[in-house]
Amino acid sequence: MSHDRYAKCVEDRHSRRAILSGIASTLGVSLMSPWSHVLEAAPASKATKAKKVIYFYMGGAMSHIDTFDPKPDRPDIQGDVGVVKTKTPGIVFGEHMTNLAELQDKLAIVRSMTTETADHSKARYWLQTSYPVLNSIRHPSMGAWISNEMGKINKSLPPYVLVNSGGNGHPGAGFLDPSLTPVPVADPEKGIENTELPSYLTEAVFKRRLTLADRIDSNFRKRYAGYQLESYNQMYKDAVTLMGGADLEAFDLTKEPEDVQERYGSSQVGLGALLARRLVEHDVRFVQVDYGGWDMHNDVATNMSTKGPALDKALGALIRDLESSGLLDETLIVLASEFGRSPGINQNAGRDHHPAAFSYLLAGAGIQGGAVYGKSDEQGHGIDEDPVGITDFNSTITVACGLDPNKEHFAPNGRPFKIGGGGDPIYDVLT
Amino acid sequence: MASCAQEKFLRLRVLSIAFCVGALLLNASMWAAKPDSDTEWKPPKLPEAVTMKPDGAALNVVPIDRGARSDIEQAAAQIDSILEAYWNENSTKAGNRTSDHEFVRRAYLELAGRIPTINEASIFCDSNDRKKRGELIDTLLESPGYVSHFYNYWADILRLKERHERNIFFEPYMAWVKESLAENIPYDKWVYSLLTANGRIVENPATGFQLRDAGMPLAYVDNTVRVFLGTQIGCAQCHDHPFDRWTQQEFYKLAALTNGSRFSAKQVFFGGMGEASFGPSDASVNVEDAPSSNSPFKNEEDLIPNLVRLRYGMNTAIDEGKVGGGIRNFFDSSTMMLSSMDDEFRLPHDYQYDDGEPLDVVEPAVLWGKIPEFAEDEDNRARFAAWLTSHDNRQFARNIANRMWKKVMGVGLVEPIDDFQEGNIPAIPELLEHLTDEMLRLNFDLREFVRLLVSTETYQKVAVIYDPTAAEPHRYNGPALKRMTAEQLWDSLLTLIATNEWAYQRPTAQEMQTVYGIDMSTVDYEEFEQSFKNYNDYRRDLNRTRNKNCGLNGLTLVRASELPQPSGSSHLLRQFGQGDREAIETAKQSATVPQILTLFNGWMTHAMLSKGSVIYDSVSQQKTLQSAVDTIFLAILTHEPDADMRKAAEAEIKQSPNPAIGCGNLIWALLNTREFLFID
Repeated sequence: MSHDRYAKCVEDRHSRRAILSGIASTLGVSLMSPWSHVLEAAPASKATKAKKVIYFYMGGAMSHIDTFDPKPDRPDIQGDVGVVKTKTPGIVFGEHMTNLAELQDKLAIVRSMTTETADHSKARYWLQTSYPVLNSIRHPSMGAWISNEMGKINKSLPPYVLVNSGGNGHPGAGFLDPSLTPVPVADPEKGIENTELPSYLTEAVFKRRLTLADRIDSNFRKRYAGYQLESYNQMYKDAVTLMGGADLEAFDLTKEPEDVQERYGSSQVGLGALLARRLVEHDVRFVQVDYGGWDMHNDVATNMSTKGPALDKALGALIRDLESSGLLDETLIVLASEFGRSPGINQNAGRDHHPAAFSYLLAGAGIQGGAVYGKSDEQGHGIDEDPVGITDFNSTITVACGLDPNKEHFAPNGRPFKIGGGGDPIYDVLT
Repeated sequence: MASCAQEKFLRLRVLSIAFCVGALLLNASMWAAKPDSDTEWKPPKLPEAVTMKPDGAALNVVPIDRGARSDIEQAAAQIDSILEAYWNENSTKAGNRTSDHEFVRRAYLELAGRIPTINEASIFCDSNDRKKRGELIDTLLESPGYVSHFYNYWADILRLKERHERNIFFEPYMAWVKESLAENIPYDKWVYSLLTANGRIVENPATGFQLRDAGMPLAYVDNTVRVFLGTQIGCAQCHDHPFDRWTQQEFYKLAALTNGSRFSAKQVFFGGMGEASFGPSDASVNVEDAPSSNSPFKNEEDLIPNLVRLRYGMNTAIDEGKVGGGIRNFFDSSTMMLSSMDDEFRLPHDYQYDDGEPLDVVEPAVLWGKIPEFAEDEDNRARFAAWLTSHDNRQFARNIANRMWKKVMGVGLVEPIDDFQEGNIPAIPELLEHLTDEMLRLNFDLREFVRLLVSTETYQKVAVIYDPTAAEPHRYNGPALKRMTAEQLWDSLLTLIATNEWAYQRPTAQEMQTVYGIDMSTVDYEEFEQSFKNYNDYRRDLNRTRNKNCGLNGLTLVRASELPQPSGSSHLLRQFGQGDREAIETAKQSATVPQILTLFNGWMTHAMLSKGSVIYDSVSQQKTLQSAVDTIFLAILTHEPDADMRKAAEAEIKQSPNPAIGCGNLIWALLNTREFLFID
């Protein structure tokens, strides 16, 4: 309850302050500093911005201490998961992050993330939309915003794909056009569902069926010509294009040589990362890869020993492949989770929910490789330096994509929203 | 040549498996050569239960008062005359009356949630009875389909889902919503129950409404006012409403009136909304100090000590591996209970207006009007409910009148329907006031009100297009063209597949109470554990029965209202816009690519083209090409083909290697028309 109100207020205050500071500036009064970005243009950028995004969401809340913010000086907190040195002296990762440790100069780590709630579904919604759960509106997810603003690149593929789309609760397109709902891929090995004609149906007969439907339907379409029918006419075209197009093979992991599949691993996140790579190679705008199972209330060390290497392998292979193909220069990689896990190890050798401090990772286009931003305290419990809220982080993604984080977009109910929720972008990790 | 012949042969063999037409039309069996397992298309085998005729009615719906028909017609004529005057004023041309086949399709979809079967449509179209439209309306309004369809409508508004994050099992509540529709409980009494119910869901399912927002009193008042009064006061939760008249002070006064609920035994006896747990120290709590409550437990004074014992027994059993950890959810859900307990409510810590200080205690007050006298001595929740549902609270009636008008006509007289405010003037104010009067006259009998609306001549006109961006205002000169809701589409596909659309039904609230409605103040641990096991067995058996009777390749061939709520994110229902039930009315009717792919290649389409499906069997019985084509058109589009359609259809069938394949192609084509997907 309190977080709803808080965040709602933040949203309202941002716009209220925007008006206030607007008034202030016309009066020649200096701007209030915390909100000065509202009127300032984002710093001019020399580097290229991201054209595409691969967004990894670690469902269940990933432990920061066992991944990107270890506390080796505090064995009581570090527990049974060791650390690994990265390229940069003084920066260590959790012991399973061996590939990423080697790639540390490509990564920006944010170690001062903080959110307002330890409730999985509310925190997830906030992370994915930049707004709190409200009864009155469904906010768009980042992928929907970015697809809406930047459009399709490959006309025959959907702009936005959600890989490992098992559960409910993804905010989807929110109040934006439903065509911006991510196309779900429940199983990366199966690809996009229902694109294959049954074996008895030839391509020619399929075309004939469509022609027959069009002819029989022609009077109805004339009688009720308008936007409702037109949007369906368009979607039928899109679906047929997708089915018939060569690009559909983007969804087919069997096209990858075995050794490549091996490098990514056969885990859900490995397959998801491999599929994501194929999709960005085929110019899909935004791919979200979900990887659940991080809610390690019990035996965190054992659980980390499966999840950790799987994630490390997948992300390592992806970054290396995108780098060698040059796609890393136009693809932003994000790794986020709804919150962190407690520094204290509980009686079941697990870690509990911890919203006060945790870590995220960014890499690729628009990102300063090697950056480590913010600092948690010595226990990884609170933030010592440069706290970053969810809206700040999402506004950073917005800027990395070359979009204006301060631009107001209006929902059908007339309320203004910003991509990223109107936070302060972390310019220190941006190029 | 050889390969061409081979391909043709293959296709012919396949058709006999995928879609056969009866003997005279085609001797398909002659093509049924030896099976070739490599390339053979295996059509799904429909579960037997859905292919058999149902025995008896799916559920009992209270009969409609046929004697009131002529009153209804007169009242409907009044609505028509208001509209006619409005059209005259605005030089709007009234549309033509629908044909019988157009009307029967619309009426079935609107009132029973699916397209009519061939038989249902022809009974209506062939009848010479001049009063047959009224008769059809009345019949449909007392059919199980009416309950199912309107349940889906309310499920989207009430955000009905299986589980709540607090381990509240919502099944009895969902069943109760359905049962209230079957019993046709007057809407004002129904809402009053939702707002005042006490106890546990399993004994008093109406508590589900408030438990849906357990622990969020501000969200609760926002939701409640939005749904039942059509007013968005939510903005005033944090600051005075920017567009409407509501102040933050008024919001808090109303919230104070809806406050006073406790959501679990913990909260009732230990106070607070927090995380109090039944640890060992709780055993020493002096229960006599606990405030009295109207709890559902028989021996209230024994409850807490007993819960402590149960919890101890449970943890021991879990540690010993005797029982799974899932019993904890069952324990929590068994102690979730709603009870009234008036207490003070304060302004927020950051209150910024002059009419109060932060953290001031707020005096409860209603938004307008006054609390009815009979409720003056009741607790806050009852006073709030009495005010909200009072016949003197005209906005309560106006809101539901507008909602039902939109449900039937496609466009509210006030849009958005939950944004009544001074600046949002109704399209036809005198009509909205008249409908409000009618709602009051009918004593909030929603089914009777719907009966009235669909009995108007206006509703029986051909559909019009509502374009919210058009320069010209919408004139309501016919119902608006609508895409089927996800549930209407699912249930319509089901109509083409399943002879019995009710081969599985979710349990009633009463059945659930019998299985797991235990008294937590008296049971010992063994009984509690047994109850948990009963619950699990019961759920497992239900799922088994459901899958056995209706399961097909991961789909369950039963009405949408009997499926898990909401369906999983890649289910056909969700693809076609069933809401996720996280916010009020999240269902959508817009186009997406996965929808089309599912209609092209999904299992519902495959099921339809398989032996035993309703349409397959109907077409198989036809003896001529012409009657096969007619059957397909009637089944899917509820009309016979016109000359050009027939020409196209027959040409397709003739050009197919045999008529069976052609019929399959025709069925597929009709499913993929806009005419099928939209309600005109």
